[in-house]
Amino acid sequence: MSASLLFSQLMGGLTTAMFLFLIASGLSLVFGVMRVINFAHGSFYMLGAYLAWQGVQWFHPTGVGFWAAAVFAACAVGLLGAVVERLFFRSLYGREELYQLLFTYALVLILGDAAKFLWGTGQLSVSTPPVLAGSVEIFGTAQPLYNLFIMALGPAIAVGGWLVLNRSGIGRMVRAAQMDREMLGALGANVGTIYTGMFVFSSFLAGLSGALVTPIQSIVPGMDVLIIVQAFIVVVIGGMGSFWGTFWGSVIYGEVLSFGILIFPSFSLFSVFALMAVILIVRPWGLFGRPL
Amino acid sequence: MHLRHSLALVCAAAALAPLSARAADIKIGFPIPLSGPTAVYGKPVLAGAEMAVAEINAQGGVLGRKLQLLSRDSKANADEAVRLARELIIKDSVDFLAGTLTSAEAPAVSTVAKENKIVFIAPTSKSTILTDPQHIHPYIFRVSSNTDVEGLAGATLMARWKDVKTVATIAPDYAYGRDSIAAFIAALKKLRPDIQIVDSQWPKLGEPDFTAFITAQMSKKPDAVYCSLFAGDFVTFSKEATPRGYFKAINNRLIDGAEIGTTDEAQALGADYPYGVIGDSYDPVIWGGGNEPPEHKKFIEDLKKFTKAEYASGWSIVGYQTIYALAEGIKKAGDTKSDDVSKALIGMTFDTPVGKRTFSVKSHETFAPEYWGVMVKDPKYPFAIMKDPELLPTSFPSN
Amino acid sequence: MTETTAQAPAAPIGVPRRENWVRRIPWTFVVFVIACSVPWLGSRYNVFLAEQIAIDALFAASLNLLLGTTGLVSFGHVAYFGVGAYVCGILMKTYAVPFWLAFPAAGLGTALFALVSGYFCVRLIKLYFAMLTLAFSQIVWAVAYKWNDVTGGDQGLPEIPFPNLDWMSSIPGLGDLRTSDQFYLLAVFLIAVSLAVLHRIVRSPFGRVLTTIRDNPERAAFIGINVRAYQLAAFVVAGTFAGFAGALYGIFSRGVFADYVFWSKSAEVMIMTLLGGMDYFWGPPVGALALVWLNQQITDYTEYWPFVLGAILLILLFGFPGGIVGGIDALWRRLRRGFGA
Repeated sequence: MSASLLFSQLMGGLTTAMFLFLIASGLSLVFGVMRVINFAHGSFYMLGAYLAWQGVQWFHPTGVGFWAAAVFAACAVGLLGAVVERLFFRSLYGREELYQLLFTYALVLILGDAAKFLWGTGQLSVSTPPVLAGSVEIFGTAQPLYNLFIMALGPAIAVGGWLVLNRSGIGRMVRAAQMDREMLGALGANVGTIYTGMFVFSSFLAGLSGALVTPIQSIVPGMDVLIIVQAFIVVVIGGMGSFWGTFWGSVIYGEVLSFGILIFPSFSLFSVFALMAVILIVRPWGLFGRPL
Repeated sequence: MHLRHSLALVCAAAALAPLSARAADIKIGFPIPLSGPTAVYGKPVLAGAEMAVAEINAQGGVLGRKLQLLSRDSKANADEAVRLARELIIKDSVDFLAGTLTSAEAPAVSTVAKENKIVFIAPTSKSTILTDPQHIHPYIFRVSSNTDVEGLAGATLMARWKDVKTVATIAPDYAYGRDSIAAFIAALKKLRPDIQIVDSQWPKLGEPDFTAFITAQMSKKPDAVYCSLFAGDFVTFSKEATPRGYFKAINNRLIDGAEIGTTDEAQALGADYPYGVIGDSYDPVIWGGGNEPPEHKKFIEDLKKFTKAEYASGWSIVGYQTIYALAEGIKKAGDTKSDDVSKALIGMTFDTPVGKRTFSVKSHETFAPEYWGVMVKDPKYPFAIMKDPELLPTSFPSN
Repeated sequence: MTETTAQAPAAPIGVPRRENWVRRIPWTFVVFVIACSVPWLGSRYNVFLAEQIAIDALFAASLNLLLGTTGLVSFGHVAYFGVGAYVCGILMKTYAVPFWLAFPAAGLGTALFALVSGYFCVRLIKLYFAMLTLAFSQIVWAVAYKWNDVTGGDQGLPEIPFPNLDWMSSIPGLGDLRTSDQFYLLAVFLIAVSLAVLHRIVRSPFGRVLTTIRDNPERAAFIGINVRAYQLAAFVVAGTFAGFAGALYGIFSRGVFADYVFWSKSAEVMIMTLLGGMDYFWGPPVGALALVWLNQQITDYTEYWPFVLGAILLILLFGFPGGIVGGIDALWRRLRRGFGA
């Protein structure tokens, strides 16, 4: 096994990891603050992808068109998140978690069919924006520029998110809400606004990651269901509610999958679920999380 | 009194006669993937079948009865296909089954056909498991090629590259993928025992991310690749492989026997098509080379009109053939009882726009050859075209 | 959220007598008789639907032992359904084991798997419990998908044979039925017995401990109940009956496939349970009936069944959290109160 092969697999795993991190970070945030597993997170991701494709069709496939479409998609999904949270989710707070879980699942069903209705059942694809279309030779392997971009974006968001969470006023409120909601409410903070804000931001991230994945992966019905379990695994491994936990969880997941294909190909599918189970058994709050 | 009575009777009979003469439609259940990555193949196959049904009905149907196609979305899932097939039989009381796309669906539906004693003609499934001695039964037929035929053709082409010494394979991890690679390797060993297989990758069908497989394979530095990825998977794979220099590293020496040479696949990839690879198709549609059968020209014109598309599909022909073969079988049998139709179909020769085909007596398949060629850019078309389609193989593996 | 009891509280004086005899009709027996008569009264398709409903009823009722009775939200219940289906299918198809051995073996195999997985699951609190059940369920799926030699992989195990039902032909009246109809009757019988046993379990002291745990686990522990042990027991019982349902399903649908174990099926059975009503033993079976019937009706008109299902779920969550049986019960109580006043 040569060094350049190891390097390729490592980079490949990192690309997968950073994409997952973009999606899973939103999931983790929502869980940390609102203690809800949002199944519909995968659906927001899928809608982000479809809306990005739609945006590219509208804004004409120029270089700028893709970026405009991505931002459009992310904002649209964020808006959808706001609507969902205000109109529906609000009335479920305080009810049993089962109802909240099933509500998000109902969204999965509805949004999945909505996407099929609007964009059909075929496979759609988006071309890589020309500014990032080439590749760069590193260590004897060709690394696509777009993937490098994503690999840089991941840590950028992680660092940015950490800074906001730990160094800003908003961040302080969010962390307080994570630790003790009732006290925060008693102290006069508008907990409701914080919840809506978190949910909107998380949906925005989901939509953005869906939009950004389109040059690399095909847009197809069922991508919502496929991604959500992966996001769960990542969040479990890293620790729900922890930004860095999600980051490292994604890296572990990406690399286990990537090297798994080399080392134990028939077990790679099994291994990620086994990893999830092991973490839950041994340290349920994940590598970087805090006990609930 | 008597005369008026009998006159009334005659009038009544005359009035009722057309009612009783209008017999029930012949129902054909057609589960096929209409959503997901394989729909890019599934939908045109169905379109071809629908066109055949429309043509046959316009000419009066079969045995005076019209054909009715009941299509369902199988999502390329074996269990969904089985469920739909059983529903079509039990609830919709279909007379025959046709359809399914993948070699996961077809063998499963074949067991339903066997249990319910209903003739089932598969248009596309290639895996030998469908009709091998363990699984053959009177009610299963296929108009498609099979993996042995495909493997021989692929190996023949690979063998022509005298400077190729190492070959890698990549195929979806299910029956078709495994069988096609096994058949290719077996045929290649006979034609070029000096070639070594240095790597095999097995992504799952519908894999969204091929990156790890691509980089692992590239590290083995093969001279050429035999690939069985198809439909949406090949689209995703190509888009991920090209920026990594995968095709450049092998000088575009990739041979794919899973019908990536169809206009459907070419249009799906558009400008991202990896020009220079070799693909195949049951129907090249755009016939360079000048020996196009005249029936084919007419078929393409009719197809374009029927599907209201600017360019005809390379897949519709198999759906078309399936229905025509079934109709021939019903006509020959004289009724719609599956036992009789089955006997009629075994060994039967039928016409297609690209030549005659025969259901072999032993395995009820046609061993259909396909057209192979290098996929190139053509200024006349916005997608890749097959250059000089060649009908392969010229001799078939013994069966 | 209390379990309805079979015995109504003493009727207030002056309630018309017709209300008493309604209660006294053995509804479950009536349903059982109707179910048995479908092969004669209905078409082949009706039998097909009825069998689907019966199997789902058992599956959903088994989930409700966890969900409604013990308060454990399992997102991976389909794993046990799948293990039962595969064990029975593999034994019958690959090893030609007769049904009367394979069926209990499926239950046993599932029970063992439930014991092992449940041991780890019940040690976790709510959310992590749900995630771990999901993880185990996906592990079963991954194994089913990849272990080609044993499970058939993505090809699955088609052609599961029917059990040897020749003995049925000797029973008067059953001789002329199709094999699939004979199997239907056998399945209905087995499911009825299973439901009766489950019902007994829920009504037993054991069941009452479970509801105590559900309502207040700390208090239960405080009064000396080994909460974990009881939860594990419930897990194993629920899993075993899911395994029986799965074994029957494999034969019914003439094949076992990996996608039977995909996590979305766990969500489906949960919706069934909720639709019928989590607080009532017969809620989930009613939910199964309603959902299968609705599915048939809707898919005749549109391909957007998931959308409709999602809408139904929303209506349930926001409007009728008690489900169908809950709604009927509430209506019934209001009517009775009307009479009594």
